[in-house]
Amino acid sequence: MNFWDKLGTLDRRWIYLLVALSVIFPLIVPMSFKISITPEARQLFEAVDALPDSSVVMLTFDYYPSTVAETEPMATAALHHLFRKDCKVVTMTTIPLGGPSMAERVTRTVARKYNKVYGTDFVNLGYKANWVAVLKGMGTSIEAIYPADNSGTRLSELPLMATVKNYDDVSFIFVVADNDIVQNWVSIVNAQYGTPIGAGVTAVGAPKYYAFVGSGQLTGLLGGMKGAAEYELLADARGLAEKGMGMQSLAHLVIILMVIVGNIAFFAGRWSKKGKVK
Amino acid sequence: MSSVEIIQIWVAAFFTLAIFSFLYKDNPFYKLAEHIFAGLSAGYYVGLIWKAVIIQQLWDPMLAGSWWLVIPGILGVLMFARLWPRISWVSRIALAFVMGNTAGIFLITQLHGIVLPQMQSTMLALGGTAGFASALLAIIVVVGVISTLIYFYFSKEHTGVLGVTARVGIWFIMVSFGAHFGYTVMARISLLIGRVYFLADQWLPSFSQLF
Repeated sequence: MNFWDKLGTLDRRWIYLLVALSVIFPLIVPMSFKISITPEARQLFEAVDALPDSSVVMLTFDYYPSTVAETEPMATAALHHLFRKDCKVVTMTTIPLGGPSMAERVTRTVARKYNKVYGTDFVNLGYKANWVAVLKGMGTSIEAIYPADNSGTRLSELPLMATVKNYDDVSFIFVVADNDIVQNWVSIVNAQYGTPIGAGVTAVGAPKYYAFVGSGQLTGLLGGMKGAAEYELLADARGLAEKGMGMQSLAHLVIILMVIVGNIAFFAGRWSKKGKVK
Repeated sequence: MSSVEIIQIWVAAFFTLAIFSFLYKDNPFYKLAEHIFAGLSAGYYVGLIWKAVIIQQLWDPMLAGSWWLVIPGILGVLMFARLWPRISWVSRIALAFVMGNTAGIFLITQLHGIVLPQMQSTMLALGGTAGFASALLAIIVVVGVISTLIYFYFSKEHTGVLGVTARVGIWFIMVSFGAHFGYTVMARISLLIGRVYFLADQWLPSFSQLF
């Protein structure tokens, strides 16, 4: 067995170790890589920035706890941007597992920094089952879908919700999601009610949604941790995503290197076998 | 850092490491973490649905006078008929309602909100007048859409012009797969970064509080 054959049968745990080291190394020796801003991220930032002060923005926490590394920096940066602009924020989620509590924790943490008051400056509607009914029903009446907020307070007791009855009163919807719900926000809410929508999605889902930006159905798009880092830079709210770019870049370099070495090993192994047959 | 926060961090760190231990090989710590996650998720989901749907959207409004909500309530109860084989057919009444309702909504939303706008965007792109680069991109989009659609046209053998176009379609599909794979790698690395960052930023500093 020559070197290339041995490489082809390498225990995959060595690869795991190499990837883990490439993520840990930048924590010990900080590395910085230039973050370029994509047009889609800039469009989203500019759309939010162009909203008049005190506009009502709906921010959705449509992601599971398993993807917080990618999605939470987006939601956090968006909240910094919105609260700095004095926008009123209504949060909600179509994700039962963790969605309501993550919305509560993230929104209250950021709101505290800007002295925003619950009920007046922001409201967390929480979760309701059956997203089709939720997305469609809020076009008629938010209160019919959410009689009470996440903590059980009646919406009629929250001053902000006295002015927010349905999508007509919402200037922009910022969807942060790790699943196909973005497509439904577009097809149910944007198409039928005309409310502008921007999205921050996990990298896995991002390629699909560029077509929606091209067609104008999405105002802008953030793809994965890189997209989150872009919004953090634009909104001047640096956080985990921006810090993670060094680790991400080094891990990508290692993976690219392994793809190249793996292919060389594959072809070299094939050629040496052909040579032996001759 | 309060003692409650330290306990939370240590519990989260234990489960993170237990799940990662599977990368070496399957072991009891991984299995424990997996089972606790499944059980906890199910319990949390039941509690949430009970509070947010059964109480807030069914029971409370019924007590307030919306008596007609008893109809969806009964339809919901009918779903449990599946637990008894002899009367399981009753659940089909509720299922039929859900399926009919969903099909009706999706027929309109998918056509009006996805298919037509996407087709329109492809057609408009051809007539774009925003310079050479965007015209070139528009041509690539149109060639990509048509050749990919032809690749999935199986009523005629892929020979001649049809065969060449289908091969072009395969190239577009491969490029799309490549983009998806690249993004998937990025997503998975991001998740690893999230957990490693948690361990380094919260768990390791908690040692100094304990010892």
